This record gives sequence, C-alpha cells and structure tokens, in this order.
Amino acid sequence: MNLTATETAAPPHEGFGRRDWVSGRTLGLILFAGALMVAMSLASPSFLTSETLFSQSRYVAFYVLVAMAQAVCLAVGDLNLTVGAVGSIATVCLGMLIAPGQAGLPAWAAVPIVMLIGPLTGLLHGFVITRLKIDAFIVTLSMMFVYMGMRSGVSGGNSYIVPESFWWLGQGGVGGLLPYMVLIVAVVIWGVSYLYRNTVLGRRLLATGSNADAARLSGINTKRMIICAHVLSGCFSVLAAIMWASWSGNAAPQTGDDWLIISFAVAIIGGTGLKGSLISPIGIVMGAIIFKLIQHCLVILRINDNFSNTLLGALILLAIVVDRARERFERKSG
Amino acid sequence: MLELQGVSKFFPGVRALDGVSLEFRAGEIHGLIGENGAGKSTAIKMMTGIHQPDEGRILFDGAPVTLASYRESLAMGIGIVHQELHVFPDASVAENIMIDKLITRRFGGVDWPVVRREAKKHMDRVGLDVEPDRLVRGLSAAQKQLIQIAKALSAEVKVLLLDEPASSLTEHEARRLFALLRELRKEGAALILVSHKLEEIFALCDRVSVLRDGRFVGTRETSRLTTLKLVEMMIDRECNDDHLGVLSPDWNTEVLRAERIVRQGKARGVSFSLHQGEILGFYGLVGSGRTELARILIGEDAMDSGRIVIRGVDARIRNVGESLYRHRMGYVTENRKEEGLMLDDGVQTNLTLPVWPRIRHWLTRRIDPGAEAAAATRWVESMRIKTPRLSQRVGNLSGGNQQKVSIGKWLAADCDILIVDEPTVGVDVGAKQQIHQLIWDLAARGGRSVILISSDLPELVRMVNRLLVFRQQRIVGEVRDIDTERKSYADVSREIAPHFE
Repeated sequence: MNLTATETAAPPHEGFGRRDWVSGRTLGLILFAGALMVAMSLASPSFLTSETLFSQSRYVAFYVLVAMAQAVCLAVGDLNLTVGAVGSIATVCLGMLIAPGQAGLPAWAAVPIVMLIGPLTGLLHGFVITRLKIDAFIVTLSMMFVYMGMRSGVSGGNSYIVPESFWWLGQGGVGGLLPYMVLIVAVVIWGVSYLYRNTVLGRRLLATGSNADAARLSGINTKRMIICAHVLSGCFSVLAAIMWASWSGNAAPQTGDDWLIISFAVAIIGGTGLKGSLISPIGIVMGAIIFKLIQHCLVILRINDNFSNTLLGALILLAIVVDRARERFERKSG
Repeated sequence: MLELQGVSKFFPGVRALDGVSLEFRAGEIHGLIGENGAGKSTAIKMMTGIHQPDEGRILFDGAPVTLASYRESLAMGIGIVHQELHVFPDASVAENIMIDKLITRRFGGVDWPVVRREAKKHMDRVGLDVEPDRLVRGLSAAQKQLIQIAKALSAEVKVLLLDEPASSLTEHEARRLFALLRELRKEGAALILVSHKLEEIFALCDRVSVLRDGRFVGTRETSRLTTLKLVEMMIDRECNDDHLGVLSPDWNTEVLRAERIVRQGKARGVSFSLHQGEILGFYGLVGSGRTELARILIGEDAMDSGRIVIRGVDARIRNVGESLYRHRMGYVTENRKEEGLMLDDGVQTNLTLPVWPRIRHWLTRRIDPGAEAAAATRWVESMRIKTPRLSQRVGNLSGGNQQKVSIGKWLAADCDILIVDEPTVGVDVGAKQQIHQLIWDLAARGGRSVILISSDLPELVRMVNRLLVFRQQRIVGEVRDIDTERKSYADVSREIAPHFE
C-alpha cells in the first residue's frame, strides 16, 4: 500500500517520540500503580493522609532522579554502575564543605561546587569508554570501587552534619503540601522529556542507543553522545545526593550504597530499553511510584525489611520477562 | 545422496527460495552457482539445518529427513566448510580439528596423545603438514582452510559443502585444495562447491546447478557447457542486458578527486576522479579495496597519506558528520541492517535523522514536527517506499524498501555526492529494478554524482558510464564509455578479464 496524502497529513509526533510517551505500556503501569494504591489505602487507613503523601512523594521524586541517572546511560546503550558511588562521593564532598566543624561554607557556595562532580565524573567515564575503547561495564565497575574507596578513606566512615539552614530543600515544600524536591524533579522530568522528544541532541542520543554503527555512519558523533549521556547521568546522581543530604540532615558516606539496584529497578519497570533507544520519563515516574508502593506493602505486611532486595531483584526480572513477551507479540502483529 | 525437492523459504517480504529442486550424487563435485541474492546461501543453510524449508522436503539416501540444527545435519553426515575462516586462533591445530570429539580417559581428562594421533591422521588426509601442537594463530589462510576441511572430514561426512573455499587462497594454494577435492571425490563423497567463479566451476565440477532470484534454473554437465551458456543461465537476459540509458555527465566539473590514498591493508595508493552527473562503478571482489576506499572517503577510516579534493577544495574529513554536513557526501552501506538502519525505529526517524539540525528552532532547539513529517513524506512518496505509515518499524519492511530508506536518508540530507555500496544485495527482482532506476535518475535527472560499488557486473554494466576495477586494494583497470558505446556484459567482461590474471 502506498502512502496517500490524507494518511500523512495527520501525525504530528512520529519518530522517536512515538513509543512510550503515554503508550499502552505506561498505561498499564498507571493502572497497576492505581490498583496498588487503592489496595493500600483499604489496608491501612493512615495511607491517604497528607503527611504520608508529603513524605512518600519525596521518595518518589528521589527514586526518579536515581533512575534517571541510569536511564540516560541505558538509552545510549551503556550501563552505569557508578550511579550510587558518584552520589556517595558527592555526599562526602558536600559534608566536608558544609559541615560546621569542616569548611563550613554556606550552602549557596557549597552546592554549586558539589554539582561540578556530576559532569566531571561523567566526562571521565565517557572519555575512558570512548577514547580507550573500554566497555562501559568495566569502566563503571572499576570506577565504582575507586569512588567507594575514596569516600571511605576521606570520611573515615563518619557522617557529616548538614546545618539546619540547608534542610529546607529536602524537608520543606510550597505551602507545606508540595515538597520542593517534587517540584525540582518535575522540572527535571519535563526537561528530559523535551530533550529526548524534541531536540537534536536527545534524538541523537536515542539513535546512538538504537544502533551505534548506523548512527555513526549517518553522521552522528557517537563518542560525543556517549560522553554526553554519562555527564547527564552524573548530574542526576549528584542532584539526588544533595537532596538526600538535605532531607536526612546529615551527609552519610553510606549514601548511595543501595542506589544501584534502585536505579535499575525503577528504570526497567519504567520501560527504559535495556538495549538502548528507549526512555520514558512518565514511565520512570510510574516505576518510582510502584517501587515505593511495594516497599510500603512490605511494611504493611510486616515482611522483614532485609528481604527487600530479593523482591527487587525478582521484580526487575519479571519486568524484563513481561517486556520480552510484549515485544515478541508486537513484532508478530506488526 | 542428498536431494532437495521443491523447497521454498520465505523471509518477511522476500521469497528467498522458490520451489528449488537439487540433487547431489555420491562421487561427484557439484557446483552451485548464482549471483548475489540468488538463494545459494539459503540453500546451504537449508542443507545444514540452520533454516528449515517452508515448503518441500529434503531427502538423504532416498529417505525424507528433517534437519533441525547443524548438529543434526552433521550427525547425518553433512558437513560444511565456510568461506570465512572459523578457527580458534589460540588453540592448537589438533584441538581445532578435534574440538567436538576430544577423546577422554577415565575421570574426564582429555587423552591428548590419542587426540593428537587422531588429528594427525586427518591432517595427513588433507595434506596439512604442520605440528599438531602448533597454535593456529600465525598459520596461513590456506592452512586454516585445510584445518576446517580436516575438521569436517573427521566427522566422517558423506556430503561436504564448500562455500567459496578458495576465496582467501592464493592460486597455488587453491590448486592444491582442488587436488584434494578430486581425491575426496574418488573416495565417494558428494562434494558441493558454492562459487561465483566460473573458472573454478569448470576446472572442478562434474555437474553444475544454477539458481537465479531464488529459483532453480537448471542442472547441467559441465563438459557439455560453455562459459557463455552458463552466464546466460545465471543472469536474467531480459532485465540485465540493456542499459538504462545514456548519461550525460559534465566532464569539466570534477566534484571529487582522490589522490594516491594510502591506508595500511585497505588502500595502496588509489587515485580517481568523479564528475558531476556521473555514475562511476567500482568493480571488484569482496576485500579488493572498494568498500575500504569508500570508508576512507567519508571519514569513517583515517588515511595514512593522500589527498581528497571535493569541488575543488581540499577536504579533510575526520568523520561521517563532516562528510555529510560540510561536503554533502553520503555513503549507503552494504550492510543496511547492521550499519544502515535503526531497525527498531520508524521510517520517519530513519529518513530524517540527518535533517534534524536543519529544522530546529533557533532558540528553543525544538525540532519542527511538521517539517520532519513533511520531509519524510516527501521521500516516502518520491521513492515509492511501501509502508503503511511513517512510524512503521523499518525492520518490518521488505529488503527493497529498507534499501530505499537507507538511500533516502542521504537524499533527504541533500547529498549530491552519493557512494552506494552493493545496493541490491538481498532485495527481490522487482525492487532491484526500482532501485537501479532510482539511482540512475539521481545522476541522469538530479545531476548528482554517484559512485556505485558492486560485485554484480551486469548491474554495473546497466547503469554506469565508467568502471574502475579494484584488485588487492588498488585500481588495476578502467572501462570507459559503457553507456555511450552500448557495451554489453560480454564486452565489459572481456575488457576486464586481463586484470584478473
């Protein structure tokens, strides 16, 4: 069948934006999250209070950031094992700069300095991966240990106190209802959506993830794209670390130890393509909500918290299995 | 011994084999010949259990068999020696030969003395005269080829498929290989030689079967066949012999000139020029330096020395982006699935990828969705790409339509120098015609300059006005005025034959 004029006049967003903005998959996630929420509010009357929502929405916002750090790398076809380790380094640096007994800088001076860690580590990873042609897995695996050793050595395992003057970011909110964290992450989500759907850079990042050889032979500087993805990833990690420190009131070097599994779980449940080229900010938000709800479930059901990793691992696998089945089905139908 | 009866195989959008019947006898060397995309490799895969026929059946010793995997076909006694050298470079010769049948002692340890002795036996049979313990790394191509043959023979095969076995050998080595094959024939094996070199077929085969566009043309005894007759069987007279027309290039406008381009192992001092509105053919076998040169021209590979001049200006091209955006030169790759397309993405994305920077808003950086859809629609319509919608996954299109998308990308990007590498491999006949016409029109009507890389000589004869012959990373010959003097396939083959001696 040839394309006729009437058929081509209509569609505004084809191309990369076509898949998974609010696709069937995301819709499924929304329904699943909704069902969980209903079940939860029936099981526990304290669930739907404004206090719970205020605190839980901050968790969701935080998970979204951590997952974004993984998703931008997955979208170019790499993975990033340093998501937590970079967060950890950033936390220790923030502590050293801001804690009263240490440098004692004010937040407006310390935070921008710490923010530099994201792009710097990202550049480093990106350069090693593209110039020395070493697999991202190996590079980020080794760098993860490099960072973890550094933060333990520097901090000696002790937490730094975050002065109360900086608590507002993680703990405050607009009118006591809308946490600043949620606000900031909403802007990030919008930015990421815009980037990947509407800009050349974002589309090229996705093209690189889709087929790096074809992208390169179509005139895309794929090395630059990979570096760019790692820089973005680092920025999200650091942002998450700063928010977490402000929220918890101290800069603990252990921050980030559990981020890796979170980053994969939320990103994958949220529909990020494991082999690149697919990223859905809305899906990631839904993934983060589902993730939080499941944790909540564990609490309500009084399941030993120590089992949560088992569940997470199983959940990642399940999400992938379901996606594979869908993919096969869609390819057949066409 | 081995027989295919009315076998067909379909792939999405392509009928790779269509009711093919072949019969191979014990004690003969049987040639299987056809152009690129004729269905040879599908037939081989069918006989070695990699593909299963969608229609028809396979008979072995007169009984119908199902070959579900290569293991099964090997157990049946059907072995294959591939064109590429599939060896383990860091294992010894003996290990390579005996890899799937290492003899063990009690407790599962390998009995190396026995393995070595067994391996030596097979090595002697093929005349491979090296130490069995020697590492394969560092052996010559011919020796590696012999290892593969020894390995196949060690499985006591009754049918041995050889896929272009001499393509990586020198002439002397090839002669020795052929002597070995004759020896094996005497021992009663059925040997199937897949080749597109006619000399090989005539030198070696008792009978030859010809495939064309997935269909069986015929089986003949080589002793009653002439080269000309065989060529006629291979190529479709009606659609291959006539020129698409006479091109009128502007010989005074040189759009691209390469001067003594050198790159280790890829190009050994190559010079040529391309003119406005010209279709210049690059003819040669795989590895002769055609694709290698193209990749240097577009900046995918760096050159060690040499000069590229585009429209009179010295061009230093470091990557494909510079070739595309600075010099409007595009390269349509020969591996469209691996390197040309993003198969999981839509037609529109694949077509408009290089256009994006031109249609974005200067401040918001937003790609204009209307302009993007319009660009895609324009090329879908003008190239007659058959797709139900612009967002259709390119992987679901037929081979011919995929190739059109792969070419269309560069047209959308406004390239007026186009290097097209093996554009009709794996596309069906109808689409082949359309793609030929399309490329020809680009030069004849669009005034673009095209380099057409092909190992399909009839294809080149149909379309180009000038042809460069590549051999061993050099240009060794040139055929001019193919369209103006209406040279036939036979004329051109005669002209280039001396370059291959």
